[in-house]
Amino acid sequence: MTLKINERFSAREIRQYTFRAGLSRTEGGLMELVSEVYTSILGALTLLTMAGALIVALRHSLGVGDVSALAASAVAPGFHSVTLLQASATVLLTLAASLLAVEMTMGPVAMTLPQTAWWLGLPVRRRGFIQPGFLKSMLWPSIAAVMVVLPMALGMAANPTSGNLALSVLCGLGLAWLLYGIAGWCQVTGSGAWLKKAMGAITLLAPLTLVATALYNNVAGTQAVTGQQTAWLEYLPTSWPLLVADGATWPLLMVALALGLLALVYLNLERITTVALKESAAAGAYAASSLLSMDATELSRSLGAGQSSSNSKVRLPMVFRRGTALARSVKTLASTHATMALRSPGALLRVLVLAAIPASLASVEFLGNAILIAVAVYLCAYFAATSMGATARFANGNPAVDMLMPLPAKTVRQVHFIVPGVAMTLWAATGFGLLLALGVGSPALLVLAVLAGPGLGAATLRAGFRPAPDWNMPAVATASGPIPTGAIRAFLVGPDLTLIVLLPVLICLISGGVPSIAFPIQLTLTWLALLWGTHIRKPKSAGDGGMFGMPAPGTAGAGGK
Amino acid sequence: MVRAEKLQAGYSGKAVCGVVSFSVHAGQSMALVGPNGAGKSTVVKTVVGQLEAVSGSTLVNGAEVDDRTLDFRREVAVVFDDDAFFPALTVEEHLAIVAAGHGVEDVEEVIASELDFFGLTAQAKSRPYNLSSGQRRRMLLASAFVRPRSLLVLDEPEQRLDTSMRHRLAARLRAEVDAGLALLVVTHDPDFLSAVATKALFIADEVHAMTPKQAAVAIASENPHAD
Repeated sequence: MTLKINERFSAREIRQYTFRAGLSRTEGGLMELVSEVYTSILGALTLLTMAGALIVALRHSLGVGDVSALAASAVAPGFHSVTLLQASATVLLTLAASLLAVEMTMGPVAMTLPQTAWWLGLPVRRRGFIQPGFLKSMLWPSIAAVMVVLPMALGMAANPTSGNLALSVLCGLGLAWLLYGIAGWCQVTGSGAWLKKAMGAITLLAPLTLVATALYNNVAGTQAVTGQQTAWLEYLPTSWPLLVADGATWPLLMVALALGLLALVYLNLERITTVALKESAAAGAYAASSLLSMDATELSRSLGAGQSSSNSKVRLPMVFRRGTALARSVKTLASTHATMALRSPGALLRVLVLAAIPASLASVEFLGNAILIAVAVYLCAYFAATSMGATARFANGNPAVDMLMPLPAKTVRQVHFIVPGVAMTLWAATGFGLLLALGVGSPALLVLAVLAGPGLGAATLRAGFRPAPDWNMPAVATASGPIPTGAIRAFLVGPDLTLIVLLPVLICLISGGVPSIAFPIQLTLTWLALLWGTHIRKPKSAGDGGMFGMPAPGTAGAGGK
Repeated sequence: MVRAEKLQAGYSGKAVCGVVSFSVHAGQSMALVGPNGAGKSTVVKTVVGQLEAVSGSTLVNGAEVDDRTLDFRREVAVVFDDDAFFPALTVEEHLAIVAAGHGVEDVEEVIASELDFFGLTAQAKSRPYNLSSGQRRRMLLASAFVRPRSLLVLDEPEQRLDTSMRHRLAARLRAEVDAGLALLVVTHDPDFLSAVATKALFIADEVHAMTPKQAAVAIASENPHAD
């Protein structure tokens, strides 16, 4: 049929149509999303209350002193801490570098994959599609700047006045906008690959300098790094908000510079190519799915250091000639997983850095509080464990490789546990070993943490093999568009098991002692986590629990010659 | 309509195939054929400006290709195998975005007609992720027909289509080419190629221009010198 053309819709009208059409079929409100995790929230609160009661009781029975755990330092007396200035400057530098690297990968002008596929080919001015993303994406760095700069300025300023604090936050916003503007200009001009790599390297290496300085200070005696020697850190551009908090005004020039750069990017938004928009959309989709699957590796690929190299020289044996068919298949699968892990040196380095972060926190004067360290341990364990779960996530999305093996699904799942299980045990040993070296905890706590390591590996599997959101479920209207019920609950699959497995370690860390009952409790929890993490949800069509829901072919394939 | 001049397609400055030169005018249909991994899709993506050329150039209606211009998007319809859909939108709503975005009158009528042609009438109110992969492929193809087009670029349109649909699509494309459409199509199907193409290019390390008949034989043997 011949198509008749009349007046075209504008990009804005198409955007609104897409949004409203999606919302028109939603059947609930935000509260329905909250209510679906209501029991989980209640459960977590109950768990934390019980943990708090246990901590108080333990501290009392261990006689660790009358000071509340909220105020007590976990660091051994006489320990030489890193100065608060060095810590603040390092944190600001790290956050700024990671922000820039992430923005450069995810856009910063971001569209979704369906938007790029269905909108970019339309003969309407693209500004209407691009501009909302440009403005919306500025919100997150702005919020981050306020959340980071305000407490730091409060803690660091000699005489914090409300005026200085407000200007300091403004300077922080200027810094965030400047980084956003740099990322935006790189997207407009298709440049900046080297900058992204440099930011990724800074993000990984900067936190390690804190631990290294603290360890050095505790063996260097009079040669220890002094506050005067690190004073220059305040003059790094990323530390300028701290200078403003102390009364300086010249760093506010950064705000003017940022606004100028943002205006330049804004005027050139339509120069962004389809390729660049599609790449950032793909990275955004990757990051969103990695957030959903608790996937720190995929997320931190945006830092430019996590991609496995196609030219990797790592070659582990894949073909095994000894043993039964079952044993050979297991070895091949395990070897494949190990190869994948070793071909991602960036991911391994990140796991190492995450092991050092609780120690970095402990090394800072005034921050060596057990509760703060425990929170850091939980978050770092959560991200480190997910960094090691790449094979599980890959297998969940691409089950064909696993199905090549003549192995029952349960065995395949257990083989997936090997790499994260071993890695997280080593992670726990490294992390708590560093804490011990800085005077936090005890050898008994180190042993307890090592016992928790395999459980953390199991939590990775639980997250990696989570079911995808079901779009056949009733959708709920949100500001970001419709979301199927069940999507929010998916966020908790994985972090829940990480918390449960780590609970004895965290309780003992905060209590300041390790009672002997903690060991059998930890072993039991680790064992339960292993069972839970390697449990396979039965597909709806599964009959007798055969391979991937298919009828079990007797014992064929499990035997061997 | 479209002219590629000494074009080398590739990634990060590295060419993936030989130098390509061709032109497709209104009423012509060019088929790109060759083995898997030869670089056909890379060439097509470069021709429509979705990849940067390693060297050479592409002109559409005499102007350097730039998919940021409105004229380009008005004239050129492209269907790659992008499996990206708005999960909350139905099939007909996806097509409505395209039709309305191109200013088509009688959007409902046009969409109903194309849904009927592609056998998706019963799925009009389904969401894409509830469709089979073949039905999603039909939906993507339908999106190119609910809008005006002077140049249509298709990357292996026959993939995941059943035989009957392939035949119907080939017949329709041939009719549109005869009516003045310029068509650039990547295909591995000799029957589809024979029905649709007016000329062909075999792409590998070296590039050979050939007749559709020669290309159909070459596909069967994956040998550009087969006759």
